[in-house]
Order: sequence, then structure tokens, then C-alpha cells
Amino acid sequence: MKNGDRWAALFSRTEDLDRWEAWARRVDDKIHSFLELEPTRTLEEQPVVDGPLRGTPFGVKDNIAVRPFRLSCGSRLLSSFVSPYTATAVARLQGAGAVPVGKTNLDEFGMGSSTQLSAFAETCNPWDATRVPGGSSGGSAAAVAAGLVPFALGSDTGGSVRQPAAFCGVYGFKPTYGSVSRYGLVAYASSLETIGVIAKEVSWIRRIFPVIRGLDPRDHSTVEYRPREARESKGRPLTVGILKLGDSGGDAARLSPEVRAGWGKALEALPALGFRLTEVELPTLDYVVSAYYVIACAEASANLARFDGVRYGERAPEADNPEELVRLSRSRGLGEEVKLRILLGTYVLRSGFQDQYYLRAQRIRTALRRDFERIFAEVDLILLPVYPCAAFKRGDETMDPFTQKLSDVYTSLANMAGLPAMSFPVSIESGLPVGMQFMAPPFAEELLFEACGRYEEHYPAPDSPLFSRDWRA
Amino acid sequence: MERDELNITAQLARLEVSEADARRFEAAVAQMLEYFSKMRELAVDGLAATTQLVEENRTRPDEPEGFGGADELLANAPEREERFIVIPNVL
Repeated sequence: MKNGDRWAALFSRTEDLDRWEAWARRVDDKIHSFLELEPTRTLEEQPVVDGPLRGTPFGVKDNIAVRPFRLSCGSRLLSSFVSPYTATAVARLQGAGAVPVGKTNLDEFGMGSSTQLSAFAETCNPWDATRVPGGSSGGSAAAVAAGLVPFALGSDTGGSVRQPAAFCGVYGFKPTYGSVSRYGLVAYASSLETIGVIAKEVSWIRRIFPVIRGLDPRDHSTVEYRPREARESKGRPLTVGILKLGDSGGDAARLSPEVRAGWGKALEALPALGFRLTEVELPTLDYVVSAYYVIACAEASANLARFDGVRYGERAPEADNPEELVRLSRSRGLGEEVKLRILLGTYVLRSGFQDQYYLRAQRIRTALRRDFERIFAEVDLILLPVYPCAAFKRGDETMDPFTQKLSDVYTSLANMAGLPAMSFPVSIESGLPVGMQFMAPPFAEELLFEACGRYEEHYPAPDSPLFSRDWRA
Repeated sequence: MERDELNITAQLARLEVSEADARRFEAAVAQMLEYFSKMRELAVDGLAATTQLVEENRTRPDEPEGFGGADELLANAPEREERFIVIPNVL
């Protein structure tokens, strides 16, 4: 059966829809990837239209608006908020015939790497329910790896699409900054984040990206998509810069034995797949996490100021005055990690501290971009790990919030520089999927698809134990 | 971070921080700020700050457009009297 056919018929054949839905609910009871799964909810206002994705179901991370689903962002503060509008990326997919069937779980407002920081549910990894699916788009990655949907949207601020995809053994694609509209994505760190795609086959991402990208009058940071010209003609081997892994990046960047094994396998496989390898160095690697968190928290403190319990959201009913109403509503509605980031962001933006933190972080961002410009003058792609370890245990205390932040060292690079990147599965180690990522120059998404596609021929994404092609297991 | 600094920051962030919260946040914020201090090692003098990634300036016609979801927006209000959102007394 051709890729996509079994999905395309879903909404036109009731018996298929019923069988799929019953199976999906059964599987999701084990992994809790969806906060809401209501396959036909959008159809009353938006019937399935003809198009290249006709009848294809997809999941949407619950910080991306889909009318008339809720838009909780995984936060108690927005637990009852119903979205009156739909994000541009979702609307474009609907315009191509696809159907958003539900909202997937996430770390509150996208702040986390495990999906344990959702106010509503703890999503489990389809490979091992005692482990996290990664995050913050952990619900989307788990749903795709379990085969509930062929693809799902996530958001990637510092790795939140690529890391959960790697933890769940599927593909995670973060496009060039500005290529996909953020209209309808609840803002966390506006200069860093993009909407991204998670899928079990490269071909889905290849099909989805042209549908969702492009200029949007509702998001002034979008740009007209102009694919980058290949450095040379087609057919020649692609040159891949292998990130030199030394002591840089600190202890937290050191790869676990499982990830190191996967890294070794990728390096071994690439030359035979037509890639020419060369080593590259990134002198700014040591500083990326600090600069990233300064910028992300600063932007978060401004973006999340809107959640005040006045016009929408959970409100503290006993407040005596508006000032108290805002303070109490925020304090009760927001989780610990979100408050920590707001406090940090507020602090680094306070007068007297700005030069030391925010301005310096923005200058490091410039230094990092220059590093990449230098590297991409010599190579087509960069290969680097996604995360220092594979999916960790739920409740693992050695992976505390601080360690999780330091572990963003490899993924946050692409967000800081605005570059496209894609994680892809390379092996199973000790029963868990391990992924690596390619990074490319701006608007060179085609190179990412080409490279991940070549690797997919050598090593297709493995089926998780819950995966079923006929929705019967 | 001193407790006073934390309290000022919380006030600016419009967050209520209890005594127990303050102890936890103090430690967590201090840990991050210490980590941020690593940025001092890198010489960045003379480098411009990256404030945004899309540098082209874009405009669009300033034309009104219907939203179509006003009732749904209002339905999200925590407390309402007809089409007005109720808040505690300002004065």
C-alpha cells in the first residue's frame, strides 16, 4: 500500500474510522499522548476538503490553536480556555484536506524536556512506559511513534520537536526561523521558536512542509520561502561537518554510552550512503546554553505577562482588587518551572542587569551565527547529537530541571541561529531509540530531507511495540 | 540572589511568592545565575547584538478584518455580566 493510502481513506469509510478510533483510544490509555482526542470535532465547521492530504488525521500540540478545541498549553491557568480561532499552519493543513483530530500533551507552555511538567497528564514513551517521551512536544512524538497519527505538529524553542522525536524513534523537523507562521502558536520565546513536524517517515515531512510554510500577514516574522540553491550540482556527495565532541559543552554535554554507540553507528554508515565527512569545531558551544536561557527566559517573562486571569483563564475569586487578582491568579495557575523562568527573565531584564545578561547573550548569539556562517561555507550539513542521553526514567532525580536545561546544548544551537534542523533515528540501544540530527543553512530544508531520506533507506524508523499498521493489535 | 532581590523581581513579575516558595526559587535562581556568569568568559566586545533573525522590514495595508469569534472569546471570560467582563473594584 502506498504511503498515506491507509490514512487517506479514513474519513470516507466509517468502518475504518471507527476501528482506528477505538484502537487509538485503547493505545492512548497506555501512553496519554492526547489531552483531547475528538476526530470529528472540527468537521462541522471545516468539512474535509479535496487536496493532497485529503482525510489525513494529525495531532496538534496543545500550545497551537485549533478552533473549537481547548488551548490549555498544559497549564492549569488555561485549563478551560477554548480557542476561538485556528493557527495558520493548522488552517493550511485543513485547506489541503488534513483533519486535526486532537490536542497533544506538552510541558507547560513548552517549558521542559520530559512532558512531566504538564498540569494534566504524564505522557509515557511508547517504547517503555516507565520512561519519558521527551519534551516539550512529548505528546506529539509519542502519538506518532505509537502510530496513532501519521504526523503531528509541535513547537521547537530549544529542541522541543527534535528531542522528543529522538526519544521516541521518529523524525523531528524544525524549519528555518520565519518559514512557518507562528500565528496561533502561544508565544514563549518569540525570537527562537518555530512550529515543527514530527512523523515516522521522511516523506510525510516532505509533503507537509510546503503546505504550512510561507508568508502570513498575521505573523510579521514570516518570510517568503526561497529555497537555497545547492552549493554545487546534484549528484555529488554531500559534505557533512561532524561536530567535534571534546570537553566543550561541559559535563552535561557528555554522551551516554547508548548515544555514543548510536553516534558511532551513524558515522560508520554515512560514507557508504554517499556522504563525505569532515570534522568541524564550534568554539561558542560552551556558551550556547547560558545565552539561550537568558534570551528564552527574558522573552518568556514578557510573553507570559498577558496571563492575568482578567479576560480569560482560571481566576482567583477571592481577590479584593485587580492587582491582587492578577498576582493570585498567576501564582495559582502557573507551575513551578514556568514561574522560575518568568522570575529569571524578569531579573535579567531589570535595569542595571541588562548589559550583563541580556545584551551579552545577544552578542553571543551573533558570535554563534558567525561560527555557523564560517562552517557552512565549507560543508552542506552538520551532524550532531540531539541529546546527551536516550529517554530517561519518569521521575529520575538525576535528570533534574537544571540538568535537563544543560542538556539542551546540541538542540538550542539551531534555535539561536534560526537554522533548520532535523532529528532522525539511527539505532536502538538497550531497547531505546537513539537519534542524531542534521543542521543545514537557512532555507536548505531540501538538503535535510535528502540526507534524512538517504539514512532512512539504510535505517528506517523502527516500529515501537505499540505500533500497528492495521489498527487491530 | 538575596531575598530582597527575589521579592522585588517577583513583584515586577506579578507573582506571589510564599516563604516556602522563596526558599526554593532562591536556590534555583542562584544556580541559573551562576551558570549564566560563564558568559563572561567569551570576548564579545564589538559584536552587534542579535535581537531578531528576520531583518527585512515588512508592512501590510492597515485594513480592518472581521474576527468572527467574538462570542467565543467572551465565553472564555471568568466572570461576565452580559458583554462586560467583571473584575474586582478598582477603587
